[in-house]
Amino acid sequence: MSVLAALRRELGEDRVGSSPGLDGRVFPRSGEELATALRLLAAGEASAIVRGSGSWDALGHPMPRARILLETTGLLGEVEVDAEDGVAHLPAGALVFSLSEHVRKETGGAWELPFDPVSPSSTLGGCLATASPGFCFGHPRDVVLGLEIVLATGERVRCGGRVVKNVTGYDLAKLYLGSLGTLGVIEAAWIRLLPAPEKTGCWWVPAADPSLAVEPARLPSARAAAWLSAGLARELSKPGPGMLLELAGDAAAVAADAEHLVCQNGATASDPTGLGVVRGMRGGDPGGRVRVSARPSQLAESVAGLSRAGAEILAHPARGLFWAFSADEAVFAAAERAGEGFLVEAAPLAIRESRELFGENPELRPLQAAIKAQYDPAGILNPGRFAGRI
Amino acid sequence: MGPRSNSSSLEACLRDVVGADQVLTRLEELFVYEADGLTHHSARPRAVVLPSTTEEVVRVVKACRKHEVPFVPRGAGTGLSGGALALADGVIIECARMNRILRVEPGDRFAVVQPGVVNADLSKAVLQHGLFYAPDPSSQQACTLGGNVAENSGGPHTLKYGTTTNHVLALELVLPDGNVVRLGSPTGWPAGYDLVGAVVGSEGTLGIVTEVTVRLAPIPERTETLLGIFPDVVSACRAVGAIIRSGLVPAAMEIVDRRTIEAVEASVYAAGLPTDAGAVLIMELDGPDVAVGVQAERTQALALAEGANEVQVARDEEERQRFWRARKGAFGAMGRLAPDLYVNDAVVPRRKLPEILEAVCAIGDRHGLRLSNVFHAGDGNLHPNISFDRRDADELARVQKAGAEILRLCVEAGGVISGEHGIGTEKRDYMGLVFSDDDLDAMKKLRAAFDPTLTCNPGKLFPTTRFCFEANPKARGYDQVPLE
Repeated sequence: MSVLAALRRELGEDRVGSSPGLDGRVFPRSGEELATALRLLAAGEASAIVRGSGSWDALGHPMPRARILLETTGLLGEVEVDAEDGVAHLPAGALVFSLSEHVRKETGGAWELPFDPVSPSSTLGGCLATASPGFCFGHPRDVVLGLEIVLATGERVRCGGRVVKNVTGYDLAKLYLGSLGTLGVIEAAWIRLLPAPEKTGCWWVPAADPSLAVEPARLPSARAAAWLSAGLARELSKPGPGMLLELAGDAAAVAADAEHLVCQNGATASDPTGLGVVRGMRGGDPGGRVRVSARPSQLAESVAGLSRAGAEILAHPARGLFWAFSADEAVFAAAERAGEGFLVEAAPLAIRESRELFGENPELRPLQAAIKAQYDPAGILNPGRFAGRI
Repeated sequence: MGPRSNSSSLEACLRDVVGADQVLTRLEELFVYEADGLTHHSARPRAVVLPSTTEEVVRVVKACRKHEVPFVPRGAGTGLSGGALALADGVIIECARMNRILRVEPGDRFAVVQPGVVNADLSKAVLQHGLFYAPDPSSQQACTLGGNVAENSGGPHTLKYGTTTNHVLALELVLPDGNVVRLGSPTGWPAGYDLVGAVVGSEGTLGIVTEVTVRLAPIPERTETLLGIFPDVVSACRAVGAIIRSGLVPAAMEIVDRRTIEAVEASVYAAGLPTDAGAVLIMELDGPDVAVGVQAERTQALALAEGANEVQVARDEEERQRFWRARKGAFGAMGRLAPDLYVNDAVVPRRKLPEILEAVCAIGDRHGLRLSNVFHAGDGNLHPNISFDRRDADELARVQKAGAEILRLCVEAGGVISGEHGIGTEKRDYMGLVFSDDDLDAMKKLRAAFDPTLTCNPGKLFPTTRFCFEANPKARGYDQVPLE
């Protein structure tokens, strides 16, 4: 019996469908169903493309071996918001935007969900599996307390927990975050919420190069910070390169920082909708986009080099991150040398097929491969997609 | 103790690779390394090696592998869960001589250090740049950053700043096979698997850390420290809940109970605390000057509303230090009460603290033990301390029984069995309270990828299964050596 037939029989007709260019699509609606699906895929040695809503389909190497799409948007299990402790248990398939709204409502506006996804259709699982850095909240590793995962062999396992401080066993959540679904499929997560700020405000800070934006982006109440090269700034109707900066927190601190911005940096109040536009720039398939991690002190030089090569740049100055927008292999090659690490987030197929997209240290390949072999011995999950094509 | 065959040739080999003055083998030298801060678990190492460089660590690891002898990294030995014990007649690789701060990059806010650097020394060294290293375990005057990485150490200020894992950007690691790898980057954005995240808190079982790149934080503009005096520990716990619920994130919220206050006030750490208070709550707020004053007023009002008899605000640094002396001197003061101190470490959801605290004290009383509490209330991280004498076998048995009951209670409340001390040998057999066999197998997969022969710090963290060991004494299992 084919794997698809087995999936239909075990999960029901409505959990299995067709998918263009692939053999089929499976759509589990619970952790149990996900475990069953993975067990059947492993038994049939059938590889799958794991996907939430597809915001990050362009990320990673192509996966010609994978013939089945495994969609996680049906994983909509238990939601629990603990307003007293400031933690929430959330299902991987849910949309981050609706979860954020839910958290706000359940806690009377006291807490917020610390994710700013790239698109309105982004799922929590996608945010965690890609560990995509946000503009407001940084790396998910700092707010994920525990994960429920289904391994490639179908075991449902947990790591971490609901409490904010925990060294009980290995911190496997860190390993799974950003592993692009190659070690297991996230079913649900315990997330640490953040107190909602008393006040927020948005400012435009003119800055010819991103190094000038580092100091204001480090102000105590600076939350979202996006430096834009001239071409991207035009999309926000701004006249030249500069930074869109959101201040958030205690009202007095925000007021003090705003005054500093105006006096020291020539900032002007700005429309906060610009943040939504910037958020969108980080996602989707723009033809080509590479993420570079560079120390704040490297920013000016790195960004100047890539700008000269023709890329438009979006940077988070204080976090040591920037994105170069281009579909040109020469830009990707320059990005590889520009900082401390890089990740080609989107590129034309020919480039995704031919070059290494993850800027991870080649000496780590044997260790990364050993980890993949332990967790996914049959190569069922996103085979070939990750660093070193594991 | 296991067999001691091959001992002389291993010792000779170790002296060859690092020099005779860096290898300790005399009985009186080895005594020092029999235990860490958990004194009632002990195992004598076969030898202790004190390497000074990464290359020497590599050579020691290779020598041990050649002789099929397990090895254990160790820092200052302040660990409290038996994580640095050399089981199976193993060799301790003591990193204290690797104690140089290699590089400080104030503009990029990171520092590169060797694993033997003492935690508090790093903050002192970067003070001139207006920066500090945030994780501050209570043992920070002695504990090393390598040990902090192994245990993912916390401390009083983790409520706002997070634990070690939130501050480690990159590592140099000698793998258990002797290869050296560099994980992460100074910017903290891994592109492959997040191996830094996986190694921090792995209790020295995935390799030996020989270099650590840590994030430095700007020293806050202003710090306000408050001391709430409460009639009982339960109302102090309620105040913690009320403060956090109001949206405040203090840098620290620490509770010291009456029994601890009595011990502290009778000791050299005396801080002038009222000995008739049921508990004191230290509340520290830091941040921008304009915000902290208002936050301190709100905090004070909330503490009073929850039943504090009095809230004192530190007027100067000297007074602030006095408040903290009660907290940080607590363990030292316990030395007056009994020869041994068992420091338990469990975490519960914060809102369950009041009821759990009452139940914890009841467990101590039921077993006739001297139990006191000093803990990180803001994180829900309990430290029930039991003063005892390990020479009294009956008392030791009651301590262990009470400890197990406390762990079970915390797990049933939705908590875990360790917040910052690790599992080590102390709690390895309680892992099943929190995790299923499948959960533990998923952890063992990580271990197997790094150390397929299980030579690096065996016998820690995973439950023992003595049956398998006895059936096959050569098995390099997770259960390698029962602790006797």
